[in-house]
Amino acid sequence: MNETVLTQEPHADILNPEPVVLAFCCNWCSYTGADLAGTSRLQYPPDARIIRVMCSGMVHPNLVIDALTKGADGVLVCGCHLGDCHYQDGNYRTEKRAEAIKLMLEDFGLEPERFRLEWVSASEGPRFAQVMTEMVEAVKRLPPSSYKTG
Amino acid sequence: MAVKVAEEWLNICGGCEVSILDIGEPLLDLLPNLEFVHIPVLMDHKYHGQTGEKDPQVIEIPQADVGIISGGIRNEKEKHVAEAMRKSCKTLISLGSCACFGGIPALANMWTLEELQEKVFRGSKTTEKAETPKKDLPPLLEKVLAVDEVVKVDLSIPGCPPSPDWIKEALLCLLSGKPFVMPDKSVCDECPTKREKKASGGSLKRPLDTPQFKQNAPWEETRCLMEQGYLCMGPVTKAGCSGLTSEPGEARVPRCIKGYMACRGCFGPVKKGSNPLVDMMGALSSIGLNPNQVADRRATLNRYMGAHGMLKPLPAKPVPVKK
Repeated sequence: MNETVLTQEPHADILNPEPVVLAFCCNWCSYTGADLAGTSRLQYPPDARIIRVMCSGMVHPNLVIDALTKGADGVLVCGCHLGDCHYQDGNYRTEKRAEAIKLMLEDFGLEPERFRLEWVSASEGPRFAQVMTEMVEAVKRLPPSSYKTG
Repeated sequence: MAVKVAEEWLNICGGCEVSILDIGEPLLDLLPNLEFVHIPVLMDHKYHGQTGEKDPQVIEIPQADVGIISGGIRNEKEKHVAEAMRKSCKTLISLGSCACFGGIPALANMWTLEELQEKVFRGSKTTEKAETPKKDLPPLLEKVLAVDEVVKVDLSIPGCPPSPDWIKEALLCLLSGKPFVMPDKSVCDECPTKREKKASGGSLKRPLDTPQFKQNAPWEETRCLMEQGYLCMGPVTKAGCSGLTSEPGEARVPRCIKGYMACRGCFGPVKKGSNPLVDMMGALSSIGLNPNQVADRRATLNRYMGAHGMLKPLPAKPVPVKK
C-alpha cells in the first residue's frame, strides 16, 4: 500500500481521532457517482481517500488487508451494480473476493464494520454520500484499530 | 584445505539432519572437503568444556567457516546458542522451515505463553495438573522465533524437510564461491499436472479424499489437484521441493504432488514477506472454491510460517463504545 495515501492528509495522524477510510471506486460507475456527489454539492465526511480503479474486480484482497493492517481504519469497495459491469463480470468477482476478505478480517482480529462492499452507479451521487457517511460513522464508533496503536 | 562446518539443532525434530544424510552418494564426494567441528546430532561436544570446567555463562562453539542451524528458537538457551554460532561462523545457513520461518512449532504463536502452559500442564483432561516446571530448565521465550529474528543469516534453505538437492547445491556454491539463489517461482510453475483453466467451483474436498488419477499414467494426464477441489498451497509456495535433478525419463514433480497429496506450503512464500493466508484466500475466491470451508484457516494457510509475527494471539474482541 502506498504510504502517501494513508498519510497525505494532516488528520491521518495516529493521535487524531478522525478515521482514515479508503474507498476503492471503479472508474465506470462509482467514481463517476462520487464525482456526481461532488458536483451536486452533497455533504459527506472528509475522511475518505478515494482511489480510482478500472474495475472493482481488480481490488485484490491483498490490497484491502494491507490497508487495514498498515494504518487504514476502514476500507470501502464500490463497483457497478451486478449486471452493469463495464467488463461484464468484474463485479461478480468482487463479490467472491469480498467473501474472502470478510473471513480474513476475523483472522486478523479486525471488526467486520471495517470493510464494506457497495454497488454505486454513476447516477447515484446521493447514495455514495450516504454510504460514505454510514461507513465513517460505523468506523468512528469502533475502538481504535489494534494495528494502529501497536 | 577442508572447509570447517559447525552444525546446531535447536527447536526441531531432526528431519533436516536426516535430509543432509539423504544427499546420498554425492555426500561421499563432498565429505573430503568438509570437516565437521561441531555437530551435536553426531558427536559429543560440550558447550562449557568437555568436563564442564569452563564458564557456564559462555557457550563455546569452535570457529568454523560454515555454520548450519536447523530449528527455530523457542527458549533462552537456543537463543544463546544461535548467538554463539553467529560469532563462531563466517557464513551462517538456516536450514529447514523451522529455522527460516518458525515451522510447525510456531503454530504455538497463536496463543500467549501463559495460555500455552496453562493448557499443557493444567488444562488438558489427560494431564495430571502440575506447576509449570522451572527448575534447571531454560525459560521459554514469549514466542517461537525464526533464526533470522535473532541473528543475521546469510543463506536460507527452506523446506520441511529441505530437499537434499538444495542442501548439496548450497554447499557446492559455498565451496566454489558462487552465489546461492533459489528462483522466485511457485510450486505450480514446476508442477506437471494438467490444468484446464476452468474454475472447479463448489466445495473443498478434504485432504484425505482420494483424487482422480490413473496409476502410472504420465503426469500430464493427471488433473491439477486444485482444479479437482483440493486446497493446494502450490500457487503461493516457493518452488524447489522437486529438487534439481531427476532420474532419466522421469518428470520432476513437487514432492507432495508425487504422492497425490496437495501442497502444504512448507517451502514458504514465493516472495519474502508475502502472506500466504491472504494470497491463498484471494486465489481461492478467484477460482470459485468456497474459502469458508478451509478448516482452521489461520493455521492451515500459515502452517510453516508462524514466526516473523505472521501468527500471533488475536486481540481480545473489544467491547464497542456505546453512545
